[in-house]
Amino acid sequence: MIYLQVLANGLVLGGLYAAIAVGFSLVWGVLNVINLLHGSFIVLGSYVAFFAYAYFGIHPFLSAGIAGAALFALGYVVQAGLVNRVIAAPVLITLILTFGLDLILNNAMLLAFSADYRKVNLAHPLGSLELGPIFLPGDRVAAMVLAFLLTALLYRVLRDSRIGRAIIAVRMDREAAALMGVDVKRINAITFGLGAFMAGAAGALLSIIYPISPLNSSLFLGKAFVVCVLGGLGSVPGAMVGGVALGLIESFGAYWLGPEHAITLSFSILLVLLFVRPSGILGKRGYE
Amino acid sequence: MQAVRTVFAAALALGLFASTSAVRAQDVIKVGAPLPLTGALSPEGLKQQRGYNLWAETANAAGGIKVGGKPYKVEIVYVDYASNTPRAVQVAERLITEDKANFLFAPFGSGAAKAASGVSERYGIPTIAATASSREVYDQGYKFLFGTFTPNETLIDPLTEIVSKGDPAVKRVAILARNDLLTLSLANLMQAAAKAKGLEVVMMERYAIGTMDHASAITQMRGAKPDWVFATGYINDLILIRKQMADQGVSPKVLTMIAGPAYKEFTEATGPLAENVSSASWWHPAVRYKGVDLFGTTEAFNAAFEKKYNVVPDYAEASAAAAGAILQLAIEKAGTLDPAKVRDALAAMDLVTFYGPVKFGPTGQITSLEPPVFQIQGGKPVVVFPAAVKQADFIFGK
Repeated sequence: MIYLQVLANGLVLGGLYAAIAVGFSLVWGVLNVINLLHGSFIVLGSYVAFFAYAYFGIHPFLSAGIAGAALFALGYVVQAGLVNRVIAAPVLITLILTFGLDLILNNAMLLAFSADYRKVNLAHPLGSLELGPIFLPGDRVAAMVLAFLLTALLYRVLRDSRIGRAIIAVRMDREAAALMGVDVKRINAITFGLGAFMAGAAGALLSIIYPISPLNSSLFLGKAFVVCVLGGLGSVPGAMVGGVALGLIESFGAYWLGPEHAITLSFSILLVLLFVRPSGILGKRGYE
Repeated sequence: MQAVRTVFAAALALGLFASTSAVRAQDVIKVGAPLPLTGALSPEGLKQQRGYNLWAETANAAGGIKVGGKPYKVEIVYVDYASNTPRAVQVAERLITEDKANFLFAPFGSGAAKAASGVSERYGIPTIAATASSREVYDQGYKFLFGTFTPNETLIDPLTEIVSKGDPAVKRVAILARNDLLTLSLANLMQAAAKAKGLEVVMMERYAIGTMDHASAITQMRGAKPDWVFATGYINDLILIRKQMADQGVSPKVLTMIAGPAYKEFTEATGPLAENVSSASWWHPAVRYKGVDLFGTTEAFNAAFEKKYNVVPDYAEASAAAAGAILQLAIEKAGTLDPAKVRDALAAMDLVTFYGPVKFGPTGQITSLEPPVFQIQGGKPVVVFPAAVKQADFIFGK
C-alpha cells in the first residue's frame, strides 16, 4: 500500500521536474546553448506570480501566462541582442556568456527582492485528494496538469506551426534551414524566448509549492540538467520522460535508502546512463 | 554594494587618518567583521550586519566609547567572504594584519567561527562569535574567543521537559533533520533527550542539503504514526516540510521546527499551517531584561531596531547587537584598548544586558543565558518558557 503512495509522490514530483526542464531542453537541443539563466528565469517567473497574487489577487494559475509572456520577451531580447552574436562560437563561449548573464540577473533579483524566502499562500488552498490510502496534494497535481497542458501546447506548436517546423529544421541542420529561406537568427530568438516562456510559466506554477528566493535558481538549474541528460536533449517527450524518471528514482530512493541518499542515487544512475546510453532515454543520435 | 562601500570608506578613512596625525588615528576603535554578505548564507550575513550596524550607530550617537575618559568612535570594517569558509579565514587574517582591527566579530555560524578562531588566537585579538553555538567551537583551549550562544542542548532540554510533563500521551517521536552541522547536532540531541524521557523514537532520518522534495520521508513519517514530529533545517526546508506534511495529512500533537519559525518569513510563508508550531531559539523579542549596556532594556532595543529597520529583531540580529554591546562594556571596564586586558575583562564579565545575563564559562561560551521556547499562536510567536518571561501556556494538538 505504502508503495502506491511513494509511486504517487514520484509521479507528481516527476511532473514538476518535467515542467522545470522542458524549456531548458528546447534551448539546449535546438540552439546548442546550455542556458545557465534557466534557473533564474524560473525564479523570476515565481516572483511575477508572487507579486501578481499579493497586489492584484491574480491566481498563479492565471499569472503563469503573464509570467511566461514577460519571460518570453526577456528571452527574445537576450538571444537577439547578445547570444546570437556568439551562437556560432564553441559551446564554452555561450556557456560563459549565459553564466555571466545569470550572475547579473541573480544578483539583480537579490538586490530587488532580497534573499528572504517567500511563498504564495492561496486564500483557498486546494487541499489534498484522498484516494483510499493515497494522498494527492491538490496544488501539486493541478500545477502538474497545467504544466503538462502547456507542454502539450508547445509540442503542437513545434509539430504543426510554420515557426515550429522552422525551429525543428534549424535543429536538424542550421545551414540547410538557412538555404531554404529560414531566418535562423529570428528562429533562434523565438526558440530562446519559448524556452524562457516555459521557465517563467513553470516558475509561476511552482510558486504555490516551493519557497521563492533567488537562492533557489541553482537548484532548479541542477534538476533541469539531470532531467535533460536522463531523458535526451531537445525533444519535448524526452524532457517528460526524464522528469518522471527522476521523480520516481528520487521518490523510491528516498524511501528505500533514506532521504539523505535520494540525490546520490539519482546522480549515480545518471552516471551509469552516461556510460551506457549517453544520448539519454529518448535521445536520438545525429542531431548536431 | 553596502559592503563594498563600507570597505571603501574604511580604506579611505584609513588613508586620511594616516596622512594627518598618529594621534588622530588612535581615536577610532576598529572592529573587523568577516561576513557572508553574498552567496547562500547572505540572508544570515545581512542579519548579522544589521545588528552590528545598530550597535555602532547607537554607540557613536552617544559620543562613542569612553576609554580611560577619552571618547573613541566605533568603526566596523566589513569584508564579504561570499559564504566560503576558507575565504573567511583569510579575511580574518587580513582584517588583523592589514586593516589593523583592534577586535574581531567572528564569521557566521559554528563552522566558520571555529575555522577563523585559530587566526585571532594566534594574533591575540579578542573575538566575539554572535552565531556559533556548537561546543566544538569553544573546546579548543583558546583564550581570546567568546560566544553569545549557549550550547545546542539548551534549546532541546526545556522543550522535552515541557512536552513530556504537559501531555503523557505523547510517546512516539519522529525526527527529520537536515544533514548539516547545527541541524544534525540538534536532531542527535533530541534523540538522546527523548530517550532519556522515556519516549520512543520511531523515525530518525536525515535529508541532504538542497533537497527539493520531502514526500517520501513524510510518507514514512505517516507510517510511523508519531505524536511528536521534530524537524530541523533552515527556513526554506521547514516551509517545504510543513507544507508537505499537510499534503499527506500528517498532524501530530506536537510539531517542533528549528530554526525557521524564529523568523517572521516562516509565518508569512506557511500562513495557517504555522499555527501551534513550536520552536526554540537563543533569544526572542518578547524576553524582558534590564541591561546596563547602551541599549538598556529589551523593549528599548526592540524599539531602536524597529525604528531603524521597520522589522522586529530576531535572535541572530539581537545576538550581533549584543556582541557589540558586550565588547563595548569590556573595553570600558578595561579602560584601555590593550587586547589582553580587554580579553580579561570579557572573561570576568558578569552583568545583565538587553539580551540577557552575560557571563562566559571557562571555554568562552556564554553560560548565563536561558534560551526561550516559543510557539506560534494566533499567527504570532509567543514565549512559553522560561517562566520569568512566559506569555502563554504550551498548546497541544489533538
